[in-house]
Amino acid sequence: MLEALKFQLEMMTNPIMLGQVVVNGLTLGGIYVLIALGFTLLFGIMRVVNFAHGEFAMLGGFALYYLYGQFKLPWLIAVPIGAAIVAFGSLILELAVFRWFYQKMFQSMIGTLGLNMALIYGGVLVWDAFERQIPPAFTGVLSLGTVIVPLDKLVVAAMAVMVLAGFYIIMKHTRYGLAMRAAAQDLEIAESQGVNAILMYKVAFFIAIFMAALAGGLYGQIYSLSPTMGERPLLVAFIVVILGGMGSIPGAALGGIILGFIESFLGTFFGALASAFVSFGIVISLLIFRPWGLMGTPE
Amino acid sequence: MAQQSATIGEIPRGGHGVATRAAASGWIVPFAAVVLIMALWPLLVQQPYVINIGTNCCFFAIGAASLHLIIRTGHVSLGHAAFLGIGGYTTVLLFVKAGWPYPLALFAGVAAAGGAALAIGPIILRLTGKYFVLVTFLLGELIRMVFVEWVSLTGGAQGITQIPPPHPLLSSQLAYYYLALTVSALVLAFIIRLLNSEVGRAMDAMRQAPSLTECAGVPVVRFKVMIFAIACALVGLQGGLQAPFLRTIEPLTYGPLESLNMVVMNVIGGMTSIVGPLLGTVFLVVLPELLRDYVLMQRIFYGICLIIVMAFLPGGIVELWSRLGRLLLRREGR
Amino acid sequence: MAALLEVHGLSRHFGGLKAVDDLSFSVAEGEILGIIGPNGAGKTTAVNLVSGVIEPTSGEVTFAGQAITGLAPHILVAKGLARTFQATTVWTGCTVRENALRGAFRHLYPGFWATFLDTNRAREMRAKANAVVDELLASLSLTDVAEQIADSLPYGYQKTLGMVIALAAAPRLVMLDEPAAGLSAEEADHVRDTILRVRERGISVVVIDHNMRFIKGLCDRVLVIHQGRQLAVGAPADVLADPKVIEAYLGTADAAAHR
Repeated sequence: MLEALKFQLEMMTNPIMLGQVVVNGLTLGGIYVLIALGFTLLFGIMRVVNFAHGEFAMLGGFALYYLYGQFKLPWLIAVPIGAAIVAFGSLILELAVFRWFYQKMFQSMIGTLGLNMALIYGGVLVWDAFERQIPPAFTGVLSLGTVIVPLDKLVVAAMAVMVLAGFYIIMKHTRYGLAMRAAAQDLEIAESQGVNAILMYKVAFFIAIFMAALAGGLYGQIYSLSPTMGERPLLVAFIVVILGGMGSIPGAALGGIILGFIESFLGTFFGALASAFVSFGIVISLLIFRPWGLMGTPE
Repeated sequence: MAQQSATIGEIPRGGHGVATRAAASGWIVPFAAVVLIMALWPLLVQQPYVINIGTNCCFFAIGAASLHLIIRTGHVSLGHAAFLGIGGYTTVLLFVKAGWPYPLALFAGVAAAGGAALAIGPIILRLTGKYFVLVTFLLGELIRMVFVEWVSLTGGAQGITQIPPPHPLLSSQLAYYYLALTVSALVLAFIIRLLNSEVGRAMDAMRQAPSLTECAGVPVVRFKVMIFAIACALVGLQGGLQAPFLRTIEPLTYGPLESLNMVVMNVIGGMTSIVGPLLGTVFLVVLPELLRDYVLMQRIFYGICLIIVMAFLPGGIVELWSRLGRLLLRREGR
Repeated sequence: MAALLEVHGLSRHFGGLKAVDDLSFSVAEGEILGIIGPNGAGKTTAVNLVSGVIEPTSGEVTFAGQAITGLAPHILVAKGLARTFQATTVWTGCTVRENALRGAFRHLYPGFWATFLDTNRAREMRAKANAVVDELLASLSLTDVAEQIADSLPYGYQKTLGMVIALAAAPRLVMLDEPAAGLSAEEADHVRDTILRVRERGISVVVIDHNMRFIKGLCDRVLVIHQGRQLAVGAPADVLADPKVIEAYLGTADAAAHR
């Protein structure tokens, strides 16, 4: 028993292992932040709790599968283009489904649950339920001293960071970003200042789905792809958003990184199940004692 | 003045309208009539397949009606199937593996479900609307993971198969149907009486205006926990009773889809009156049978229906009914 | 003689914001105390703290000699401390009588099984509660509208009904949160008369409002709150002529109303 503990401790302080954990943490963290930001955007601005968010990730995964895996487009192009295709296509869903639920939280929950079902089983209908693999972006490793970093993970992390930087620029330095932040704070005041709610909803929706689809592509690449893969990203979205605070954009970013590192650490040393239990445990405790998360505001 | 309850957002707050404010004992006759019809029709239609649909209707009515109790206090639980599972697994494990007599095992299943609810209720029922939905969703997932991972106890993802009937007399479809009918009739009578009593009025009050209700002297959280425990115990009863009928139980039987089903039965039927979940149950048990061979299409259709109902008829069938009623009355008025 | 309600050093902080800061006051038996202050001064927060709706960050509240700090509202109602709300005054979709009966919950609820089975005890209690409500409705002139749906009535009636709900629990002290807000001058006068009648029944009253004129014509003593702290306390004429008080109101519409 003591031996096992000693071995565990040795593993945990081994620089190579730690290096892996950090890289994994960054990669996962980046993906999780992408998913969570989209989810938070939809909630913060439109008060929609998008239970179908994982499905847009799934669609992004399939987009990448076709563009990169089948049509052999270069990876750096396939990833954002795939996400953009999903986001543009989803504007139809914005018109058909989401539009009816803006500012109606409870209805959005059940309605998007319905959309979730339709998308999952529609996906099964089209693509069958078995798992597929997306070929890795790059093969090979990068050696930084004692730390060995698999290139494909690095590239995924880099892509995530780039998109997040883009998101940050849009939110902080463009008119649309300002309008969205204002609407997230107080919709009525924003509208009275001339913000066109309908257009802004579409822009916010597009951005949210783009990020989810992009994250889905990256996620599908690291793990595997199937029409039912969306459940995990949805849970991640919940956990991160609750951790960081529903409706808080910096909170979603913080929460995503924290969750990514927790999962990477626990998953590497204690297994996937322990990781799942701990994340759930943290979230449930937070919901009980501090439901507004780390950076949200108590109601 | 806007009176929306802080705990349930845009859910129609009804329950006080003239249409739903039946006299305290006015429900007994129509209820007895329905029960009578339910008791007699299997003697006419003797196909086992159809009788089984009826049995499932009765069982799911228990779950949907019990969830209705929770909804009437202003909380929507997306994890109700977890308690269904606690009841089901506890009963089956004690009955099949530990050799307990079935009635005792069933009692233990009900107690386990109710006990679990009593344990977490005081903590989670202080949460408002969306947080309660999320926490019950996550709890449901957590409990399902326990069912899947605790292989030594629950048989893991395979579940438990070949569950024998509780009693040799119950090996026939018809006998099981009458058991289901009897229990569900008793449970529903209990629930309807509860909703019509002062307890029910207190529930409606706390759903609509929790602070006002608390300051009128009603111990709101204690009430909510009591109702939550009763509701979860009742759905645990469904779980324990239904398990031998299903023959096989597995974690997916009690997963998020099942929780959603129970919520949908309430939403589609209408959340302001007990009639809602009963209509919703029939809708959700009978309709899939029509599309039996097309499981995928069935689920896609189901998802689309949900979207349409939530977008255009959030009050469910009950709302449709009252809208039609008002439309007809207006016509007659001319 | 000890006061009926005593508040010492009551504070409520929200992060950096001090909504209520070191507030102390007392209410004597049979007194009508007015709590006044510009909008956002912390009046409603103070009421929420005393009535148990929010928990204080620090401070103590004593009622009839018992410590009640941080107790839940329904417990306080049982001890004789009731309140009304500014916004959500009544339950919609119910008649006036049904609303009032809710307030009498304490008299009306004999326990789960007794209620469920409608025992004799339950019926007795229901009859008693109805009697209490009848008397209250008559006393506050609402008998004529007893069977009408509460939210279909004019706002003034709803405010009065709010008071009935609080009084139905037979409290010793009732806190009224902005009872005259949104009412015409005539309706406000009616509310003032109602409050005086309540005091005649032996119930102490705390009236929270931002309208100086209304408070001046009604209260024995006035407490002025500004930015969560006590600014002045005393007889209405003295307090309202206090230069500090006038300065606090300068720049707000209330100052104009006062002149």
